[in-house]
Amino acid sequence: MATKYRYPTGVRPLLMDEAARRRRIETRFIDVLERAGFAEVVLPIIDYADPYAPLQTRDVSRQSYRFVDREGELVALRSDFTPMAARALAPAIAPGDLPLRVYYRGDVIRCDGSRLGANREMFQIGAEIVGGAATAADIESLRLAADLVRQFGLQPNVVYTDASLIAALPALRPVLSAKRMTDVPRALRPLAEKLVAGTATLEDIGPFAPEAASRLSAIAAALPEFELHLDDFEENAGYYTGVRFRVYDAKSRTTLAQGGRYDNLYERFGTPAAAVGFTFTIDDLD
Amino acid sequence: MNPLRIALPKGRLQNETLAAFGAAGYDIPGEAELRTRKLVFVRDGIEWIFVKDGDVPVYVEHGAADAGVAGLDQILEHESTAYQPVEFPFGRCRMMLIAAPGAPPLTKVATKYPRITRQYLESKQLRAEIVPLSGSVELAAVLNLTSHVVDLVETGETVRVHQLEMQDLIAEISPRLIVGKHAYRTESKRIRGLIARLSPSPAASRHPLPATRGEGDSRETFLPATRGEGDSRETLLPACGEKVPEGRMRGYFATFTPSTMATMA
Repeated sequence: MATKYRYPTGVRPLLMDEAARRRRIETRFIDVLERAGFAEVVLPIIDYADPYAPLQTRDVSRQSYRFVDREGELVALRSDFTPMAARALAPAIAPGDLPLRVYYRGDVIRCDGSRLGANREMFQIGAEIVGGAATAADIESLRLAADLVRQFGLQPNVVYTDASLIAALPALRPVLSAKRMTDVPRALRPLAEKLVAGTATLEDIGPFAPEAASRLSAIAAALPEFELHLDDFEENAGYYTGVRFRVYDAKSRTTLAQGGRYDNLYERFGTPAAAVGFTFTIDDLD
Repeated sequence: MNPLRIALPKGRLQNETLAAFGAAGYDIPGEAELRTRKLVFVRDGIEWIFVKDGDVPVYVEHGAADAGVAGLDQILEHESTAYQPVEFPFGRCRMMLIAAPGAPPLTKVATKYPRITRQYLESKQLRAEIVPLSGSVELAAVLNLTSHVVDLVETGETVRVHQLEMQDLIAEISPRLIVGKHAYRTESKRIRGLIARLSPSPAASRHPLPATRGEGDSRETFLPATRGEGDSRETLLPACGEKVPEGRMRGYFATFTPSTMATMA
């Protein structure tokens, strides 16, 4: 097929006005982040696939563009900033540096076949807090993501849960994944029914996942305007280990940002450090 | 406030789906209105859209509709990640592997469900070429276009008429209310209300179980076919309105969720 006028699926150029618009949004983001004490790190667009292999499910690795470079190494185009930032920063941080506040920006490339018409090249800005008191960092991170949304005259709708809940309650996976009662062990039945009905509270979760419950109750107390969804969970939590959140535009319900806590990621790259962060996909901000 | 948008399937499931929403107290478009070419109706603060049954998971997946009604066949075929909070008691059928008696070994399979077929073949460690068709799939086996076909069987009538036989049960299919993850998170109150109204009452789910049928012979389970009132189409066992418990699901996809499918793909 002729390629003279076409672009590969999911990518397109931004011409003058659109480029200017993106630049304005980006500038505003950077301004807020730098005033909040975040420093930029620049990450390469291509990296070896190997160091990230243990982190990736088949789904994740399938959505990245991978190829063999001239030395015969398998390399991948950047598809997720978070592990790359951990790999880049881990050898460079000393205990005295923490907490560290960093941000990064640029394109990620994903060939996510299931999202029809979705961009494959996405411009993202992410920020994270490495180290520091976990709950305080969680709250700071959630609050900052919401503030960034308000910068653009939008009303943020923040929905959060804890990624570790499903690990604490593996028997509830079928119920949570269908949102419908299925066979569950008798002892978990009352909790499952409440989760399905949306009436479960942190007291109900507490006996099964005490740490997650105490983290979530601290967040709920500090940020009562945000919505806690205990029945929300990821089919695949990936590297997330604690709070997991998404930020929507309350009016259009568009997803603007998503993020969470990942306490084991830095350790994989040599330096144990807990971290929490979020990523905005700028193309989704209008 | 934006109206909640619900995608309803035209075709096989349309009438019973409308009846289910009507019984749940929703003011839904009537027959006469549906005969017009109109496809979008706003009622009760809900925007009802009518799309081809196979397109419901697509609308829901991409957030163009918040919720919808789709058969498990379409949910699996589209590898939908939507939640399935309500399983409806009507419109049950089975995805079967079908062939002519004395058919040659499995080499080619005609189907409207290439993804489900591919996963089924892989799971059984079978090699066969998949021939995607868009309708009258049984004909492929009758005319020797392919050795086998994979298709939905409601009463088994089509299979009998064409003197084919059912060789394996791939999945028990039931229609479900599907809710996009995005809608579930951002409209949780209204979505939960919808689910609560459509869910079978606890009394209904305590219905006595239909007698268990022979595990080995899938053909046995297609007798006797019952007819829904006022509906010329035959419907599969169990009788309309009867709740089939989850535990009765059989076949290769019985334990499947969209996520396990995606990781297998």
